[in-house]
Amino acid sequence: MMIDVTVNEIIDLAAVSGRQLLFADEAGALLKSIGIPVSPCRVALDEEETVQAAAAIGYPVVLKVRSPEVVHKSEVGGVCLALTGEYSVRSAYREMMRKARMVDRQAQVTVQPMAVPGVEVLIGMTTDAQFGQVVAFGLGGIFVEVLDDITFRQVPLQEKDALDMLLSIKGSTILKGYRGSGPVDTNALTEIILNISKLAEHHPRIREIDLNPVFAYPVGALVVDARIVIF
Amino acid sequence: MIGAGPVDLRPIFYPKRVAVFGVTDTPDRVGYNILQSIIFGGFTGRVYPIHPRHQQVLGCKVYKSLANVPEPVDMAIICLNQFATVEALENCGRAGVKGVICSAGGYRETGEAGRALERRLVETAEKYRLPVIGPNTLGIINNDGNFYSTFYPLKIPAGKVSLISQSGGIGLAAIHTAIDEGLGINKFIGVGNCANIDFADCLDYLENDDSTTVIGVFIEGTSDAARFARTAGKVAWKKPVVVYKAGRVKDADQYTQTHTGSAAGSFPLYRDILRQHGVFTVSSIAELVAACKALAFQPLPKGNRVGILTHTAGPGVVMMDYLKPAGCVIPALLDQTISRVKQIIGSADPPVVLKNPLDAVGLGFGRSVYGGLAEAMLADKNVDLLLAVYCLHQTWELPAAELIAAHKKNNKPLLVNFIGNWLDCRQDQEFLQTAGVPLFTAPEKTAVAASALVHYGMRQKG
Repeated sequence: MMIDVTVNEIIDLAAVSGRQLLFADEAGALLKSIGIPVSPCRVALDEEETVQAAAAIGYPVVLKVRSPEVVHKSEVGGVCLALTGEYSVRSAYREMMRKARMVDRQAQVTVQPMAVPGVEVLIGMTTDAQFGQVVAFGLGGIFVEVLDDITFRQVPLQEKDALDMLLSIKGSTILKGYRGSGPVDTNALTEIILNISKLAEHHPRIREIDLNPVFAYPVGALVVDARIVIF
Repeated sequence: MIGAGPVDLRPIFYPKRVAVFGVTDTPDRVGYNILQSIIFGGFTGRVYPIHPRHQQVLGCKVYKSLANVPEPVDMAIICLNQFATVEALENCGRAGVKGVICSAGGYRETGEAGRALERRLVETAEKYRLPVIGPNTLGIINNDGNFYSTFYPLKIPAGKVSLISQSGGIGLAAIHTAIDEGLGINKFIGVGNCANIDFADCLDYLENDDSTTVIGVFIEGTSDAARFARTAGKVAWKKPVVVYKAGRVKDADQYTQTHTGSAAGSFPLYRDILRQHGVFTVSSIAELVAACKALAFQPLPKGNRVGILTHTAGPGVVMMDYLKPAGCVIPALLDQTISRVKQIIGSADPPVVLKNPLDAVGLGFGRSVYGGLAEAMLADKNVDLLLAVYCLHQTWELPAAELIAAHKKNNKPLLVNFIGNWLDCRQDQEFLQTAGVPLFTAPEKTAVAASALVHYGMRQKG
């Protein structure tokens, strides 16, 4: 596990390894180093390490394949959610490696806790051909995929821009609470948005960031899955 | 963009001596039309048509080349084909010309060979630090100096609104809509392919152009959208900027690229980022002109509370559909305003809707009643601006004088929606607009115009 690493070190490591897509644990460490709350992520080299990591994190856990050869994990069965004990971790690990090692003999896994569900949102950054670095915010899942309910701002963002993003999506009401659920912590979300803006501004080597989903809670928010692409 | 500093476009807009390359004696050629445009537009400087084989066109002596012109020129308009244009540009640079308009198309909008040719054009311009409008442009108009260089000869009313358009066709559409609206134009800039003068350069220039008070922009797409949005937001602190972005559908790129060589890009990005920078955006030419018109005629309101006076309910309903999403509020009227309304109508319990929108129905036709109601609403502390609806009628006349008086007394923005046609509204339009009160014929345009006023009023308040 990476401790006390800087953004530049993580980017450098990926760059010298010829990878544009950071590993989940690298993306997590990068975000953590700039104060963004992320779901913990441990790398395990073999079955025993995987079981130890799961026990240390606490069940239920999520297993994901970690390999530069595997970009779309779910296509090779590289994602196993909600594993509740040692037995299910071991069998998931073996099944995952059976497929993954056909693609990459060095394939490893990452182990993460199952995050407590919250309101799903996405926060992203992309480098547009006309506008340059742009931050995106939207509600996750069907809202962004089907309804295109997503809003953009140019980097650098000011605090009022981040706040305006939360208000200007069509599904904004969901953040304020509906059908008995309370409002989510909008400060926690704007903080992540502003942090992403700063990260992009100071590190133009980052081409794309996709935090999806981010779980928004009544207090706080948590990045559950992070994808970072460098140039 | 030439270098880092702002570009001086004054020689292009206020030239004293102009050369026109490619002037033939046939009215179906661009060179002829541009000379026609300069003469018809009433240019008071000296114009030097250039063509190797003609002696005289439109009563002007024609010179064989730029070297034959008896004095240095400030600017040149090149109406040659795309290849000869590059050579003429080189000659202009060498002769110390300070600005050029290149009409010809056939550059990056046509593909790889055209892209290479445009690179040569830009390199030549850069070598001499020469601002080039176009290529692939209708031209420019400066009504502040009677300088018309569009290949559609025009003579249009002068005013305070300047327009920047990527398209000549849409530029003309906006100009003719402005004529219908009785809105004077100060400058028109057809940016075309934006070789080295982009939207942002034009915005920077117009920011410091004292004769321009409002800027309207039609854009399909620009490779430097980041700078465009930032500049529009910056300039809008000094004078309002209204942007109409076209090319919204997902496959718009292929159409815009073959038009002016620029991809349309992502519409949601333009929409959201212009909003981020506090720029007012519209979705049609009609709205672009209506918003510019309101901003040119009226002061900015102190707040977002809109009063609506009408004698027919529908327009109020339509207006609210536009006003509310734009952040406007339809406030309740003060009790004392309601009392005044009753007094003016002359009944303690009049058969009208006694709230905002105030629908005076049949009781509101009379000049003095309608004028009184308008004044009462404008005097209401809850109302920051008033939209007054009236329908064209054989018997009843628009209470124009009363509306002007009410406006003068309260000095709050007033927009009149006179429902009728341009032909029959023309006299009232002229009468009201001479007094600074804009008249619109459609409720939608009136509402967008009000939204533009509220947008910049609120932005200035912070």
